[in-house]
Amino acid sequence: MNRCAIVLAALCAIAACQKPPKPGEPLRGLSAAERARFDSGRAVFDSVFTPETGLGPLFNADGCKECHEDPADGGTGDEVERHATAFRAVPPSGMRPCDELAAQGGFVFQNHVTPLLHAALGIDSEPIPAAATAVGRRTTPLILGFGLLDAVPDSEILAYADSDDRDHDGISGRPNRFFDGRLGRFGRKALVPALREFNDGALAAEQGVTTPAVPTEETVAGTPVPAATDPAPDPELSAEKAELLTAFVRLLAPPAPLKMSAEAKHGRDVFAHVGCARCHRPSFTTGDSPIAALRHKEVFAYTDLLLHDMGPDLGDICLALATPTEFRTEPLMGLRFKKQFLHDGRATTVEQAIQQHGGEGGRARDLFSALPAADRAALLAFLKTL
Amino acid sequence: MHPATRVSLLFLIAPLVLAAQQPKTRADTAPATRPAVAHDSVRGAVRAIDMHARTLEVTTGIGFAIRVVKLQVPADVPITDKARGQDAPMKLAELKAGDVVRARFGGRPTGFVAYTIERLGKMSTGVEAKQ
Repeated sequence: MNRCAIVLAALCAIAACQKPPKPGEPLRGLSAAERARFDSGRAVFDSVFTPETGLGPLFNADGCKECHEDPADGGTGDEVERHATAFRAVPPSGMRPCDELAAQGGFVFQNHVTPLLHAALGIDSEPIPAAATAVGRRTTPLILGFGLLDAVPDSEILAYADSDDRDHDGISGRPNRFFDGRLGRFGRKALVPALREFNDGALAAEQGVTTPAVPTEETVAGTPVPAATDPAPDPELSAEKAELLTAFVRLLAPPAPLKMSAEAKHGRDVFAHVGCARCHRPSFTTGDSPIAALRHKEVFAYTDLLLHDMGPDLGDICLALATPTEFRTEPLMGLRFKKQFLHDGRATTVEQAIQQHGGEGGRARDLFSALPAADRAALLAFLKTL
Repeated sequence: MHPATRVSLLFLIAPLVLAAQQPKTRADTAPATRPAVAHDSVRGAVRAIDMHARTLEVTTGIGFAIRVVKLQVPADVPITDKARGQDAPMKLAELKAGDVVRARFGGRPTGFVAYTIERLGKMSTGVEAKQ
């Protein structure tokens, strides 16, 4: 064997043995420049803001990592925030059914205020206006692999939509839209069309950190914060740093599924058989991307990124086109790292979460409940590999 | 600049003008590059129309940071329906909540005043990002 063949064989062996990325690590196959941006972006993600560097005056967390920390950067956390909107099935003339209460500080109502804002207004959190018809609790989503979800073409998502349930399978799936008409995909109600906007919006709404994309602070119930309570000049984070932050999130690898036991493999079949996979679609294929590691990749997210009616027991707020009972199918990738389940964390186990599915998820729930114990255990074993 | 970023900048300059109208002690230390916008545009969904006052409220924003821009609409402001055809004229009363519009406007002491309004389509059926 000549020397080239030996080197080639060694490289192939190394590639074959390469372990999948751990949570918080980047996608495999990044260029040196992409890796450098990922590393620089992590520093922004790990930043802890203070009022002097831009935090607040209204905020839910003092940095991305405060919430997205478990088991690593980009993971989940135990924080729960409040969203509130007003929904009227028969709206007043000239109004949409859903009022996001944006003119009254909504729809994110921050849990914390800075000492200066507390001193000025005597509040500890942003008050929810009387006009709200519902308050939704929201847990922290894992954002690992979101760069791949961002790279899924709209057409892939819309191909699964069946708003009027024309195939009569009891599963509709309809797209939500942002206010400018673009297809949404991020957030529990699929409001946000793109990852960059998801991050820029989070900087403002979750941390009170302004950027060139979102140059104004959140209001207190519609009234601008008193100027003296906001010492940092706007924008509080530069466009460059905001872009690095998004580069970091975009390039975070999705959680690698664990190796499946025979029981888990059987559970995967049960998952499909009882109909879970009709909404929790196993995979999407990304489209073109300037980043090779995101281009034409299959991402096993177990979601269709569409809205489904989950029944009145789970319902809370409306958002854009989403009614109170409609939620985007939650991606199941990284499920094993979660400690609270469903959009508001009301379920403490995966089994509880399944049992609380209603509406379009009701049939799959009932089929799950009727399974022999061994099949139920197998399905749960499969989910624990994700 | 990425198109989404460009659109984002356009969306959120309007609230910046509103915020800039508030007295702020930090204004003295603000960077000289802070935009002092006289003319701008916004793209978003019609939230409410008040025909009596001739005002239009547009919901816009970035991600979870949602804003509402309120515009006065003088009677002579051209309103066109791009969804129906290039520059097809329409009336303010024909706009409906949930319509996606792009409005060009300017700041006045009384608030924002629309120069032009284009209806691009409906939220419920979607509108291309490029439009």
